[in-house]
Amino acid sequence: MTQQPIISLRDVGVRYKRAGSIFRKTQYYQALKSINLDIYPGETLGILGRNGAGKSTLLKVISGILKPDSGEIINRGASVSLLALQAGFDPNLSGRDNAVLSGMLQGYSRKEIESKLEEIQDFSELGDFFYEPVRTYSSGMRTRLGFSVSTTISPDVLLIDEVLSVGDKEFRKKAEQVIIQKIQSQQTIILVSHSEQQIIRLCERSIIL
Amino acid sequence: MNNYNSSSFPTSCLEEALEWARTASQKGNLDKAVTRWEVLLKAFPNHPPVLFGAIALYLQRDDIENANRLYQRANEQFPDHQNILFHGAQIAQKLGDISRAEALLETARQNFPDKIETWLQSTNFALTQNLYEQAELYNQQARSLFADHPQPHKQYAEIAMQRSDWQTALIRWESFRKQFPERPAGYLLAAEAAEKAGDKKLARKLKLAREYGEDILAEAEPADDPSFYKRRHRHATFSGLTELIWTKAVFNLRSETQRNYLSYLWWIIEPLLHMVVYFLVFGFLLQRGGEGFITFLLTGLIPYMWFNKAMSSSNNSIIAGQGLMLQVAIPSIVFPLVTLLQATIKQIPVYAVLLGFVWLQGHVPNFHWWALVPIIAVQLLLTVTFGTLLAALVPFVRDVSYLVPTGLTFLMFLSGVFYSYESIPPAWQDVFLMNPLAFLLKCYREVLIDGVWPDFHMLGIWTIIASTGLVISMLAYKKLRYVFPRVVLA
Repeated sequence: MTQQPIISLRDVGVRYKRAGSIFRKTQYYQALKSINLDIYPGETLGILGRNGAGKSTLLKVISGILKPDSGEIINRGASVSLLALQAGFDPNLSGRDNAVLSGMLQGYSRKEIESKLEEIQDFSELGDFFYEPVRTYSSGMRTRLGFSVSTTISPDVLLIDEVLSVGDKEFRKKAEQVIIQKIQSQQTIILVSHSEQQIIRLCERSIIL
Repeated sequence: MNNYNSSSFPTSCLEEALEWARTASQKGNLDKAVTRWEVLLKAFPNHPPVLFGAIALYLQRDDIENANRLYQRANEQFPDHQNILFHGAQIAQKLGDISRAEALLETARQNFPDKIETWLQSTNFALTQNLYEQAELYNQQARSLFADHPQPHKQYAEIAMQRSDWQTALIRWESFRKQFPERPAGYLLAAEAAEKAGDKKLARKLKLAREYGEDILAEAEPADDPSFYKRRHRHATFSGLTELIWTKAVFNLRSETQRNYLSYLWWIIEPLLHMVVYFLVFGFLLQRGGEGFITFLLTGLIPYMWFNKAMSSSNNSIIAGQGLMLQVAIPSIVFPLVTLLQATIKQIPVYAVLLGFVWLQGHVPNFHWWALVPIIAVQLLLTVTFGTLLAALVPFVRDVSYLVPTGLTFLMFLSGVFYSYESIPPAWQDVFLMNPLAFLLKCYREVLIDGVWPDFHMLGIWTIIASTGLVISMLAYKKLRYVFPRVVLA
């Protein structure tokens, strides 16, 4: 590819502290080891891997939540967000309030997210339940709300961690469709899945951890 | 004895039987199909649909021998049937008898020009002979005669594919999809063409379009809303963070009150209950203070409770925020600041009640009350500094959080909530007042009860100390930005 990558990972390694107290020696768990990866604008990149292969850790590094222990990550000015379902949901607040809060936590101003509320309500198919406390929701309703909020977000690079397997069948279809629309528009997407099938179907390029 | 004449057999049953055999062929389960057609052949040996259906199946299986055997039989019984020409042509072609195949199709074109099969077969035959011009011609005929039938249109695109003209094929598949959006071939075979043409992206899109509709194929529109794109992350700006902290705090309070029946009233009731307890113990049981003691108690207790609440809630705030911290990239300082703000907002009505009470007790509001503004400001500054530092420390040494309640009780006794600093030995008074909370309580009482100015000099010194502490705290958070998620994860 001739394009310049928007994000580059060079020899990135992440390890977690496993145990340690005054009486025990600290142990480490190597979650990622020398990962080299270039992410190009507009592409859909798949990340495959078994449980515990470090897929989620990699996304956390790319989204800037974690800093690698070794190597470096070069971000050439792209905003990156993890598609975070139900981020910061409070069961005592109404769906509307949770949507506002969750949207703000994911990087929007209150005004921006309030201008999208109608869209969120429609997409989540909650109807008047939108104004009821979330604790009265079924888990499916909660997922729908979370997904609706998260998909209004359009960062330069969107990271998706296994969320295409949420909700009931019908909603899953709808959710997948939104993701595909995002793939379709020139958004850069990194999709994590343990389903090889899904990665092949959706992604241009994939790496295996 | 041949009773199984088709005319004596109910037509609907025969149709059903044919359907039964055809579904097996269509599903591609050819072995099963053979069994079924053989059964049908036994039952209706002289029925044209059965006979030709079986021939078609054998042709599908490339079993020329059996196809030919049945064909000879059919030829004897129904020499004028159109399928004699079509199947004959196919068998001849398979057997390598090209001229016979050609002749049969020629006859078909003359005798059955209104049958779609004629043109489809002719096109196919021309294609196998690599006579592309001819194929296009026949296909054109088919398309003009049967404009609504998908088969000729599909063939049209397939001709281009066979010629390895992928671009033309893609164009033809596109118009095929427009006319027959339900047909999988328009997507799957087009995807094959795109892949052959080297456009993998298009190929994948085509496959997805089959499931999710044609819209996917539309050219990408640039990001829908420019304000949601290409801009600084809200969490990196001061205004963004302030707005987030404020909204989160307000929403947390809303959530808290929605859990209780008395909701917002608790903000007042709870401090009142505390006050009643202390008053019972110190004013009534221990007989301390005498007249004005309750005012004295309140002016100490209420500012102390603000500090107490703020500290105990910010104590665990970062650990409580770990779930969120690992989901979204927000600066950790947000967590203690939200809890501190929450505790502070709750104090506003309590302070209002305090001032009202003091007034009722005969301490009329006067000019000196303005000094409350700097006193409260200094207390706020100190609260934020200590709160954020404490919250930053706890994730590293979680044991600290166990000390916090004890520490706060200790502080209460050392700050003169129930007694005046003047009641301790004068030698210790200066040391006692080095505790900022003790100093602040003294200031509150000077203003509200004694009606004099507080020690502005010391207030200034505490402002400087607290501000410095706050700067250090901010720097620490900046430095520890990526450490917190690790620590809470461990």
